[in-house]
Amino acid sequence: MKPFVRSPLKAAMAGLALAAAAGAALIGAQAAGPNEAGAGPVMVRKLTEDQYRRSIADIFGPGIKVVGRFEPDLRVEGLLAVGTSAVSVTPGGFEQYEAIARGIAGQVTGEAHRAELVGCAPGASDRNGAKCAASFIRRVGLRLYRRPLSAQEVNGLTSVTLAAARELGTFDAGLSATLAGMLASPDFLFRIDRAARSGETVDSWAKASRLSFLLWDTTPDKDLLDAAANGALDTPQGLSRQVDRMIASPRFSEGVRAFFTDMLQLGDIDNLSKDVLIFPAYSTSVAEAMREQTLRTITYLLVDQDRDYRDLFTARQIAMNRLLGPVYDIPVGKQGWYIHEFPAGDPRTGLLTHASLLALHAHPGRTSPTLRGKALREILLCEKVPSPPANVNFAVVQDVNNPTLKTTRARLLAHLDDESCSTCHKITDPLGLGLEQFDGVGQFRTRENGESIDVTGTFEASGYDGAAQLGKLFAGSSQANSCLVRTAWKYAHGREPYGADASDLAALGETFAQQGHRMKALFRALALDPDFYSLAPGGAKPAATLAAGAMHKETTP
Amino acid sequence: MKRHTYWVRAAGIGTLVAAATLLGAADSPTGGEQGVRAFVLSNIYIASSGDAGTCPQMADGGLETYYKLLPPEERAKYASAKDPDKIEQSKRMLLEKDMNEHYGFRRVAIRGGSPGGAVPQAKLPEGFDPNAAPTPQDALAIGALNGFPKGRGRLAFSNLTVAYSSCTNPEDFPELARGFTTYDGKVAPGIDLDGKRSKDDFTGMDGAKGVDNQLWRAVGCVKPFREYGERKVAKKIFISARAPTIVELRGVDDPRNDNDVTVNVYAAADPVVRDGRGEALARASFALDPDKSLRSTTRGRIVDGVLTTDPVDLRLNYKEQIVDAPREFRGARIVARLLPDGSIEGSIYGYYTLESYWSSVEQMTQNGANLTEVSCAGIRQAIERFADGYRDPATGRYTAISSAFDFLGVRAFTIHPEQQASAQ
Repeated sequence: MKPFVRSPLKAAMAGLALAAAAGAALIGAQAAGPNEAGAGPVMVRKLTEDQYRRSIADIFGPGIKVVGRFEPDLRVEGLLAVGTSAVSVTPGGFEQYEAIARGIAGQVTGEAHRAELVGCAPGASDRNGAKCAASFIRRVGLRLYRRPLSAQEVNGLTSVTLAAARELGTFDAGLSATLAGMLASPDFLFRIDRAARSGETVDSWAKASRLSFLLWDTTPDKDLLDAAANGALDTPQGLSRQVDRMIASPRFSEGVRAFFTDMLQLGDIDNLSKDVLIFPAYSTSVAEAMREQTLRTITYLLVDQDRDYRDLFTARQIAMNRLLGPVYDIPVGKQGWYIHEFPAGDPRTGLLTHASLLALHAHPGRTSPTLRGKALREILLCEKVPSPPANVNFAVVQDVNNPTLKTTRARLLAHLDDESCSTCHKITDPLGLGLEQFDGVGQFRTRENGESIDVTGTFEASGYDGAAQLGKLFAGSSQANSCLVRTAWKYAHGREPYGADASDLAALGETFAQQGHRMKALFRALALDPDFYSLAPGGAKPAATLAAGAMHKETTP
Repeated sequence: MKRHTYWVRAAGIGTLVAAATLLGAADSPTGGEQGVRAFVLSNIYIASSGDAGTCPQMADGGLETYYKLLPPEERAKYASAKDPDKIEQSKRMLLEKDMNEHYGFRRVAIRGGSPGGAVPQAKLPEGFDPNAAPTPQDALAIGALNGFPKGRGRLAFSNLTVAYSSCTNPEDFPELARGFTTYDGKVAPGIDLDGKRSKDDFTGMDGAKGVDNQLWRAVGCVKPFREYGERKVAKKIFISARAPTIVELRGVDDPRNDNDVTVNVYAAADPVVRDGRGEALARASFALDPDKSLRSTTRGRIVDGVLTTDPVDLRLNYKEQIVDAPREFRGARIVARLLPDGSIEGSIYGYYTLESYWSSVEQMTQNGANLTEVSCAGIRQAIERFADGYRDPATGRYTAISSAFDFLGVRAFTIHPEQQASAQ
C-alpha cells in the first residue's frame, strides 16, 4: 500500500473521529449498567463478525469478498450477543477493520463492480463527480449506518471524496477512500441506538435495526428502512406487519441459526482440535459439518416444521450428509444434506446426541463428563457452575490406561475422593456421564477399555439410562424451557435482565407456552414487545441482575 | 441478486422438507442395517512368500535386459560409474529412448492431449468416436492407420493411447525376456484350488500341501511384485482407491460364527477416503458401480471369526495410475478374518484369467515397466508357461493361472442402486 493512500483515508475518517469517541463513551456507559435515572442503558452494540459479513453481502452483493481477520467476539453471560454490548475496538482491532474496509471499498469501486454498485461517474454535467459522490454516499450510507445521513454528513463526506480524488488522481480512488472510512466508522461497526423524540423509546431507525438483527441477523432491508422512514414501525399495525413479513421470510432461518449458534456456542467449533490418531474420522471439515448439522436440524424442526422447541431434545430426525456418515456410523446414500430419521429406540435421539455438542465439550483425546455436564447446566439450564480451582490434580482422571479404573465414570469417582473437587463435580458429572456412550467426537460406543459403559443417572428427581432418556427429561424440564426464554431475551436485548425486567420475562414465557413453545412465536413476541424498544424497560428501578432461578420460578406453570 | 439468494435458500429448505416427506419411514439405525457387514478394500495385492521363499536372483527388467544386450562400447555410455553391470540412474531415460528407437516402440493418443508425455495425436478411423470406450479392434484399426506393424497395437495408459511395445506385443520381443528369472522355491501363499496334488504344487505358508499358485512361480522374483506383496508395505498403500472393491456380508447373525452368510463382491463408484491417520476411513458410504459385470455373489461361512466362501467368479476393478484393467478371477475363494476393530484382512485364491492379466500389463506401458524394472516379455513368457487353469477345449491352452492375492479393508456401507435412486 502506498503511504499517500493512508492520508486521504485518514481524512475521510477525520469527520468520524468524534463519533468514534462518542461510541467509546457510550460503551463505557453500558459497561457500567443502567443509568441513574433508572432508564435502561442506551445501547451500543458492536456487529459480530457474522453480522458484518452478512451486512456487506446484503448491501453490496455476494460478489464482494470480505477478506481479513476480525478480532474475536466476546462472550459475556454465555452469549456473544451480550458481549457485543460490552466491547470496544482495540487499536489493533481497528487496524483490522480498516484493512478489511479498504479491501471491500476497493472491490466496490473497482472495475468489476463499479458500474453496478456505484452506478455513476464524473461527466459533462458533473465534472468533479460531486453529485455522483453525494448520491452514492447518501444511498450506501443509509444501508451502512442503518439511518439516513444528515445533509451535513453527506456534504462532509462528499468534500472528503473530492479532496481524496484530487490527491489520489482518480474519482474512484477518492470514493474508495471515503467508503473505506464509512466502513471503519462506528456508525457502521456499532449499532448505535438513538432515542425517539419522546425520549421513551429508540427511534424508528433503531427499531428497524433491532428487528433486523434479531430476526435476520443482518442489516435492515429496503422494506424495513421504508417502514422506518414513513413511521410505520411506530404503529402497532405497521410493526406487526413487518415482524410477520420477516418471520415468514426464508431469512428468518438465518436469524434462528444465529441465535442458536450463539446460545449453543457453536462458533467455538472453529477452534476445536482433536487427536486424529485417537479419532481418525475427525477433521476440520467434519467439524464444520457437525455445526451445520445441528443448525440445519434446528431450522428444519423449529422453523420449517414449526415444531415445539422441546421436540429438539427428543427428535429422531437430524440433518445428515456423507461427511458425517462415518461419525454417526450410518450409510448415507444421498448427495448433499438431507433429513435422516433414526428408528425408534436408537441411541441417537435429540440435541444431546449431536456430535457438535458432544465434540465441543470434550477433550482433544477423550470425553469429559465434567465439560459436557457443565455445558448442559450452563447453556440449556441457565445455571452457573463455578470454575475449578487452579491447583486441581487431574492425574487420576487423565489416566485413560488405568488398569483398574477402566471407564471415565470410575476415574471420575476416584477423583471425587478429593473433597475440594466433589462439590462442583456432583453438579456437572451426573449429566455428562449420561452422554458417555458417545466418545470425544460423538461416535457411539457401548464399551470403554472393554468394560460396559454405565449411562444411568438422575435428573430433576427422575432416573435415566442414556442420552435419549436424558433428552426426554430435558424436554419435560420447565427449567430448560424457561432457560431458552431467558436466553432469547438476553440475545434480543444484548444484556442480562434486571429486576425491572422480571414481568417482561414472565409474560414472554407465558406467551411462549401458550403458543406451544414455537420459536416463531417466541421471536414474534420478543419483536412486538414494547420493552424491546423501550429506553426504560419494565419501568422499574434497575436493581441487581435478575437471577436465572428467579425468572425460572416466575415462568414455571 | 438478493431475491435470487432468498429463493435458492427457500428451494433448499423445500428440498429438505420434500426429502423428509418422501422418506416416510425411518432410515438406517446406528451401525447400519442389521445383519449386514460390508468392507471397502484399500489394497488387493499379490500375496508374497516373503522370507519363507526367497529368490537367489531377481528378474531383470526390460530396460536392464536391453542394456545387457548392448555391445560393450554401447553399454559404456549408460553404465554406472560404481558398477558397470548397472545402469547409471541419470541415464535411464536416455537408454529408454535408445531402446524405443531400436525396437520401434511407439504410441499415439486417442483423445488428444499427451498422456504420459510426448505422445502424438493418432489418425482415427472414419466414424470412430474418441469419447466412446475403445475396443481392442479399434486399437488395431488405429494402429494400422498410424503405421504400426501389421496387426499390432493395443490399448494402453488407461485406454487413452494405442501403443506398440514389448508390453503390448511381448511376443515380438522375446530377447527382452532373457534376463527374467522365475520363483523356484517350495513355499508359496495360497490354497489347493484344484483338489489335486502335482509336482508343481507348493507348500503353503501354514504348511498345507497341494497349494496352487503358479502366478507366484511366474512373477515371484519380479522386484515390485515382491516389494508390494509385503504386508507392512501393503498396509501403507492404497491400490485402486478411486475404484475400490467392496465385500459385503449379509445375513450375519453372529460375526464370530455363522454357518451361512451371503457374500457379495461389488465395485464401488466412490473412492476410498483417507482418515486423519492416513488410513482408509472406516464407515464411509459407497455407491455401487453400475457395471453389473463387476458384481458377484456367493455363499460363505464364518468360523471363529474367519470367513470362507464358496468358489465364485470375480471381476474386480483395477484402476491405478495409468492402469484401467479389471482383474478377473475364476473359481475364486475368499478367506478372511473379521477383526475386532471392525476391519478385515484376507485373501482371494483363484485362477487369474490371462486375458485380464495381459490387459493390466499392456496398460502399464513400456515406460511404466522400465520405471518399475519389469520385463513385460519375461512375464508373458513365464505366465504362458505356467498357466494351469481353465483349459480352452478348442485350443487346448490354459486361459487362467492359479494365484493368491491378499487384501486389507475397513468397515463400510454399501449404497445399492435402489437406495440411491430413492435418495435422489
